[in-house]
Amino acid sequence: MDAKLKKELIQTFSERLSQAAKMYLENCSRCGLCIEACHAYASSPETRYTAVARAQNIRRIYEEYFKKGKIAKKLNEAVEFSDHWMEKVYETAYTCTGCRRCMTYCPFGIDTGVIQGIAKMLLITADMEPKTLEMLADMSIAKGKTIEKTKENFATAAKNLEKEVLERWRSEGGEEVVPLDVQDANVLYVALAGKHSIIPAAAIMNAAGEKWSLSYFEAVNFGAFVGNPAKTKEIAGRIIDEAKRLNIKEVVICECGTAYRVMKHMTGEKPFGVITLVELIARYLEQGRIKLDKSKLPGKVTYHDPCQIARQGGIYEEPRYVLNHLTDHFVEMTPNRQANWCCGGGGGLVAMGEKDFRMKSAKVKAEQVKATGAEVLCTACENCHTQLSDLNEHYGLGVKVEYLSDLTAKALVQD
Amino acid sequence: MVNQIFYVITVPMVYLAVAWCLVGIAVKVARVVKAPAHPFTLKVFPDKDHPVPSAVWGALSMPTVRRHNPTLWVFLILFHLGVVLLILAHLDLMPWFNIYPADSPNMIGNGAVGVVVTAAILYFLLRRFASPLREISVPADYLLLFLLFCIAMSGDIISWANSWSENGFVLTKQDFGGYLNGLFHFSWDDPAATIDGGHYVVLVTHVFLANLFLMVLPFSKIMHTFFAIPLNKLRRG
Ligand code: HEM
Ligand code: SF4
Ligand code: SF4
Repeated sequence: MDAKLKKELIQTFSERLSQAAKMYLENCSRCGLCIEACHAYASSPETRYTAVARAQNIRRIYEEYFKKGKIAKKLNEAVEFSDHWMEKVYETAYTCTGCRRCMTYCPFGIDTGVIQGIAKMLLITADMEPKTLEMLADMSIAKGKTIEKTKENFATAAKNLEKEVLERWRSEGGEEVVPLDVQDANVLYVALAGKHSIIPAAAIMNAAGEKWSLSYFEAVNFGAFVGNPAKTKEIAGRIIDEAKRLNIKEVVICECGTAYRVMKHMTGEKPFGVITLVELIARYLEQGRIKLDKSKLPGKVTYHDPCQIARQGGIYEEPRYVLNHLTDHFVEMTPNRQANWCCGGGGGLVAMGEKDFRMKSAKVKAEQVKATGAEVLCTACENCHTQLSDLNEHYGLGVKVEYLSDLTAKALVQD
Repeated sequence: MVNQIFYVITVPMVYLAVAWCLVGIAVKVARVVKAPAHPFTLKVFPDKDHPVPSAVWGALSMPTVRRHNPTLWVFLILFHLGVVLLILAHLDLMPWFNIYPADSPNMIGNGAVGVVVTAAILYFLLRRFASPLREISVPADYLLLFLLFCIAMSGDIISWANSWSENGFVLTKQDFGGYLNGLFHFSWDDPAATIDGGHYVVLVTHVFLANLFLMVLPFSKIMHTFFAIPLNKLRRG
């Protein structure tokens, strides 16, 4: 590795040294409590899959460049940047899903997600980041710049969805079925590219008589997956600008955990509220604006708490509230809520492919699902849904993997 | 020559170590305080209604350790409480600080606190030799615990072996009190003049190792003393 790149890497590292990052890097006592917390280690007990080993890959660089004393460096196993060590950095970045379960085991609450963030930024500096993620992030940004030209196509595509939305909920008033550009709407709904993310939500909001508008942009934030804060902000910024332009009350994020965390917690103060679709559905049920028919969902149903809305967002009870309107046969998986096992697909792993690692590292998840004896495995995150579907197939779990929104839309009572 | 070395260890080096330690801690804390705040929240949900008290309680009572490794938790609590008691016990040696009666020959706890702390350190040290902890430990982890073990052992020898001689206590609370009080008032007196006998060399060893510990403290993970609460606060929001 040449001296110039080393210098750039040190610079990148130093820019990431917030108070929190410094404290995380300097205070791990290597007590090992976080070892058992990680689904990857629990599924495949190799030391490199523990939170502390992943953090040590970064901490040892920190010891070299940000601490003094020759002896201290030796005793703390400081390492210099090298091509070989960058492989370890890659491991820290892309064998971890950023689920932050380990943080709930650590006596100090060290957030491996923050350390992973440093690893991802170092990879970008060394031009070693997964190119798929970088490309997807750049495409999202490009779309923000050319939106005026593509608006017409988008409107046509939205129109084409009407028939399927109407199958779920036949509105009478003759209002727009999939409305776009609605000034002063209560809700700006931000979906994913794919009709499965639009149709159920549209039917539910129409059933509730909501004044809503569909965003031109997809919620997913590849900038966050690749770990580039500038791109993350730019991608989220497209939606923030749109919401401001339309004077929106609340931005509702579809079933995409990362998009929610970025919009809710990582992009500063905004003049509108940010909630998930799940919260919106729970609210409609509470206000009696929609009714659900329990006979539409037979069999035992269980729920997977997506890390990014649960541990990282506190949305625990709303999905259970909705499920209790959908079925009398809801069973919890163990552990659940804050202690739930990550599905193993977060942090960009699903978007990157990585199927072998995803299957190997999520054996505990498969076993946990199996132990519930449920026939339907429901969740509220696109990434989790993909990963759980892959696990279902790989481990022969024999469950139906469903989105909470889809189950809701299918059970809407038209009276 | 030996007497001179002993004097350097028991008087000037103590001042140096304490000053070094305090400056080191101040610099380390200042570096963190000066760094920019993290750009987004790091709390874990469900969030707490009272983040500060729950961060303090979380740091001091270590509920996550209790839940996930109860044995370690028992030793950690014993060890940390022991350290607090030992700090008090050292202050109590001073003639003007009387938790134990001024004329008692013993330190607070009659030596039992030291033994508990030694046992806990030994546990921390031994468990590091077992996999998978062994793979994630670095040399500094072992050395720090070994240093602490030696400090605690030499302390135990002073407080226990001390009373095993036929004539009762060789060195008493009052003897140590005189030494510490001299340090406190910058008398620069040689403690060898008042504390005498075969145990003096153990005392010098204990002081030497403690000096070393104070000097490495700012560079070691013992800095968690100052960061455990702020770290827990991040998680509590
Ligand atoms: C506010 C004060 C303090 C708090 C909240 C605190 C908290 C903690 C916590 C949460 C751990 C668990 C990590 C582990 O298992 O290794 C720990 C370990 C430890 N602490 Fe403290 N601590 C404090 C002060 C001190 C002090 C003053 C010492 C000085 C001797 C100390 C020495 C140690 C040692 C030796 C360990 C075990 C390290 C190991 O297992 O290798 N702590 N402390
Ligand atoms: S954040 Fe999740 S995946 Fe990453 S080390 Fe912690 S438990 Fe493992
Ligand atoms: S639980 Fe926390 S302090 Fe212990 S090894 Fe893991 S990250 Fe370090």
